[in-house]
Amino acid sequence: MALLSVQDLVVRFRTQEGTVHAVNGVSFDLDAGETLGLVGESGCGKSVTNLAIMRLLPRPAGYIDGGKVLFEGNDLVAMEESELRALRGREVAMIFQDPMTSLNPVLTIEEQMVETIRAHRHVSRDQARDRAIELLSRVGIPHPETRLNSYPHQFSGGMRQRVMIAMALALEPKLLIADEPTTALDVTIQAQVLELLRALTTELETSVILITHDLGVVAGMTQRINVMYAGFIVETGSTTEIFEQPHHPYTVGLLHSIPRLDAREAGPLIPIEGSPPDQRQAPVGCPFAPRCAWRIERCWTVNPPLAPVEAISSPPVLSGPRATHRAACHNQPTAEEADAGRPLRPGFMPAPPPAGFSAADVEEAPGVAAYAGEEAP
Amino acid sequence: MTSADISVPGRVAERASRGLWRDAFTRLMHNGPALVGLALIAIFVLAAALAPVIAPYGPLEGSLANRLKGPSPTHWFGTDLQGRDEFSRILYGAQISLQVGVVAVLMGLAMGGTIGALAGSFGGKVDAVLMRFVDVLLSIPGILLAIGIVAWLGRGLPQIMFAVAATTTPLFARLLRGSLLGLREADFVIAARSLGASRWRILFRHMLPNALTPLIVAATLALATAIIDVAGLGFLGLGPPDPRTAEWGTMLTDSTRFLRQAPYLLLFPGGAIVLTAIGFNLLGDGLRESLDPRLKR
Repeated sequence: MALLSVQDLVVRFRTQEGTVHAVNGVSFDLDAGETLGLVGESGCGKSVTNLAIMRLLPRPAGYIDGGKVLFEGNDLVAMEESELRALRGREVAMIFQDPMTSLNPVLTIEEQMVETIRAHRHVSRDQARDRAIELLSRVGIPHPETRLNSYPHQFSGGMRQRVMIAMALALEPKLLIADEPTTALDVTIQAQVLELLRALTTELETSVILITHDLGVVAGMTQRINVMYAGFIVETGSTTEIFEQPHHPYTVGLLHSIPRLDAREAGPLIPIEGSPPDQRQAPVGCPFAPRCAWRIERCWTVNPPLAPVEAISSPPVLSGPRATHRAACHNQPTAEEADAGRPLRPGFMPAPPPAGFSAADVEEAPGVAAYAGEEAP
Repeated sequence: MTSADISVPGRVAERASRGLWRDAFTRLMHNGPALVGLALIAIFVLAAALAPVIAPYGPLEGSLANRLKGPSPTHWFGTDLQGRDEFSRILYGAQISLQVGVVAVLMGLAMGGTIGALAGSFGGKVDAVLMRFVDVLLSIPGILLAIGIVAWLGRGLPQIMFAVAATTTPLFARLLRGSLLGLREADFVIAARSLGASRWRILFRHMLPNALTPLIVAATLALATAIIDVAGLGFLGLGPPDPRTAEWGTMLTDSTRFLRQAPYLLLFPGGAIVLTAIGFNLLGDGLRESLDPRLKR
């Protein structure tokens, strides 16, 4: 059985301008010890998905509107606040994006760490302190005994993120959710922190959900990737499959919009035209259609389900190293097209919005047609 | 600070011993106006505490033969219409102003703090009801509210304290509620929740300490207003029940009838009120700057 099984999770936000459809039926499984990357651009619902898993959505605006989050078989969505509290930190922990603001500025590191440990374990203050020292030295903080009395503002960003990692792993949780853990750090520090995270979670056999918009980060860290767009998972598969043979135009776009040192030929970066859809409207059709160079007429009206990219006889495997590569696309790019970053079929043009779609419904990205239809070099 | 600092053991020990409050204190000690304010308050507190020792005469001691004498070596600030030594009465008056001012602000902090904490941490209906109540309080001018409360409860020091406390309550309630609402979605509060901290623990340990600094500043500034309000009530004849009590506001009222003959009787109590109010204002502004270094010029 999977450690974590998210089933049809729907998250909405009530705002002054209407309901925001933040997460629209996301399902995925995670095995014990597995590392899963959640990739997508800002606002695609990756952070909200994880806040919803932890039941930490900003109240009262954000709410879970359906679905289940089974952690070791127990549904977190239906759980009482007191039960959740016992679970948070001990079984599931989280690391946040900005280490500069995620530590309490008026408490010393010791107070914050000891408090966390003693909230879940019946140990004395001294025992908790010893544990904190041990943890700080594990995450590479020099002179942990003296640094324990420091306040957060006396640490650099990288050091603070190490402290956050120490706190999150203090109780050896089974699942660690790392929300853009290195985005706020210098590039040189990023690699160190990621390496630390990998070493510790491997040693403790912690499952990890790594949220990032940086494909470079997931490449070295995760076994599996979920690509998210506008609150949907649009493609899922092993990290190698996603990088080698992306089957969703959005994944193709993501891969072509980052510079790669190992590119066989140094082609130009291809940006994804347009911007994500306005999620205040309930999605109709494929959410990526207005920006997609591969779209066909059906894309405007029917949102494709996540389906195996190759025909298989048995039901798809949802987690683990043998998880089935699945994509949600009516007109999947071929391997050559994925390499080129645009459709190569002679005469193919992205389908225009069908009649009956008002301009308000659709904002077609202007550059899409320009990339498609060009002859292959 | 760079990570290079961390590897120097000597620096570590030195830096680790410095906390937020210590840093703030160091900054306060380098703030000129705040030091002036602190000095004024020190003089005021010393006058109140040492009044029985340093006052040359008792607050009620004097003879009509001596009335309305101008400042002289024997009576530094002159004598009032009953021949009592004005200097001694100002010293004793400091006791009342300090006592009533401090107790009133503490009561206001307790009442406003409780309202603000409940509204800010529960939100929703609790917040709406409490804040409308605060709005009602706020819609009545402070001194009018105080007069109303004294008129309702009768004259007396506890009543005056409560009346002045009621005028400061809305300020503290709004301030604390605002800070708590902002902190509710602060990263470190969500981080604490993600690590399983309880609701009360988050309120008392994570949110309140972070909301405290604006309250400290506001309370210091409110002391200045409270002292003026106490004097104002005294001036309007709603001071301590015993009309002979040395109280700055009451002394001002008494002086108005003899403005031409003895203008100094207006000058000295008025000056005392102004100087203590300035003292608390300067200290309050200095505290604000040192507790929040970003405000520094």
